[in-house]
Amino acid sequence: MLRVSGVRKVFGTADDGYVALGGIDLEVSTGEFVCLLGPSGCGKSTLLNILAGFDAVSAGAVEFDGAPIRRAGRDRVMFFQDAGAALLPWLTAEENVRFALRVRKVPKDQWPAIIGRYLAMVDLTAHRQKFPAQLSGGMRQRLQIARALAVEPKVLLMDEPFAALDALTRRRMHAFLLDIWQRTQTTVVFVTHDISEAIALADRICVMSVGPGSVITEVVRVDLPRPRDLTDPRAAGLFKDIEALLSRDLAEVA
Amino acid sequence: MPPASETVRLKRQGAGSPSLPLAVHLASTWQRFRGLLLFIASIVIGFASWQILSTFIFNPFLIPPPLVVFKTAIPMIQSGEILRDVAISLSRVSVGFIGGSAVAIVLGVMLGRVRLLNELLDPIIELLRYLSPTAMIPIAVIWFGIGEMSKYFLIFWGTFFIVLINTVAGVWRAPVIRQRAAECLGASRLQIFVLVVIPSAAPYIVTGMRIAMASSFMSIIPAEILAADSGIGFLLQNSSMLLQTNRIFVALLTICLLGFIFDRVFRIIVDRMLSRYMSYVALT
Repeated sequence: MLRVSGVRKVFGTADDGYVALGGIDLEVSTGEFVCLLGPSGCGKSTLLNILAGFDAVSAGAVEFDGAPIRRAGRDRVMFFQDAGAALLPWLTAEENVRFALRVRKVPKDQWPAIIGRYLAMVDLTAHRQKFPAQLSGGMRQRLQIARALAVEPKVLLMDEPFAALDALTRRRMHAFLLDIWQRTQTTVVFVTHDISEAIALADRICVMSVGPGSVITEVVRVDLPRPRDLTDPRAAGLFKDIEALLSRDLAEVA
Repeated sequence: MPPASETVRLKRQGAGSPSLPLAVHLASTWQRFRGLLLFIASIVIGFASWQILSTFIFNPFLIPPPLVVFKTAIPMIQSGEILRDVAISLSRVSVGFIGGSAVAIVLGVMLGRVRLLNELLDPIIELLRYLSPTAMIPIAVIWFGIGEMSKYFLIFWGTFFIVLINTVAGVWRAPVIRQRAAECLGASRLQIFVLVVIPSAAPYIVTGMRIAMASSFMSIIPAEILAADSGIGFLLQNSSMLLQTNRIFVALLTICLLGFIFDRVFRIIVDRMLSRYMSYVALT
């Protein structure tokens, strides 16, 4: 369980800085899929970096399974939008997965089986000898997923991972991610600015307000069976509600 | 092989046309060897123009034509004289270059990592790097004499700052996302540094070494002209005092050739050993 209570984040000095987060409270239970939704600059990536342990909070507390989060840990794996930057470009697909096993000190004799299993899971078995530069954008994202899953994290933190992909590839990646999530029962915190993406994926959608001093304005539960049909009237209704929420917020700022 | 213009004409007519298999063949041969052929053409044209100019326009004593230079070179090669000078200059460059690169990479990696150390040493480095190896010759001779040590020192000096500055820049520019990704997979700080940061810096380090190699070939000559009794620079100086322009040109050509060959060899070695670290530069 991830618990965020009263978290504020100020960049720069305390009295003359930019207040990115103005008091966030959030609980994500084990195995849950939560989306952080909001326009650019609403601090959702900042919150994710705090959950990952990359950034410290200015006030408040973040806990994972009862222990305060102080630094990055392998139980929470961050998943970056730019897979090309996150993967090690001088290693082939299988060597990238092997890197994760190596730093995690998995016994060497188990490597081949684990590498084979996760590359197969993301459909990259045929491309295991290729370097990231030789893979398409979607393949690189799948490789990043395989590398992240190979260390068996309890939480996947995803920062707009599919924003740079074309619509068709993105839909396939959604189905793929949901399938893996349901099989491995990891907790997912997924940042996006795309309302349909949030509705397609999440158990709960946390709508964040525009910065400075962002807060979670509304939590929307999505009780629709997966795979979700976004043309379903209930999904369409949710879309309209959330869109109204976001545009009201944007209008207030303007 | 027909002349180049012929090939181009044939290629225009017949590329991809099944009725002209010969033309297609020639066109594809041209495509494959284009770089090499143009390289050879450039050299041939260069030497031919030099020969003509030296024979008909310039004073052949001041600028001896290439055929005379080659004729002068043959006995120098046969007697082993020039090879001895080449060997001694190369050994000076190699020792200084390898030593300078090694020390600079180790120190550069440390400076790239330890901010305080860098802030303390950077001003000194910024001042010292303007002292070219040539400027250091007089003091090097006093410190180390005219033996090998002074030449090792001068090449080391020239190599060190170039490789150092590039290494520090490379370590600094290791992408943050790449390091964070490794961190949350469970990599320790040491692992991130050794397995992520240093390989990320490799292209910068190699670039620095290439520049330093060129500068080493440039610095060895003045060092040997001013303070040596052997080596290519000494051959230049000695021939100049005896007004042997032919031998000066042999020495000059040798310098061109050596620098060129060494850069190619260096690139081939890098391609063989480090290509996977070099090829990704365009990716991120």
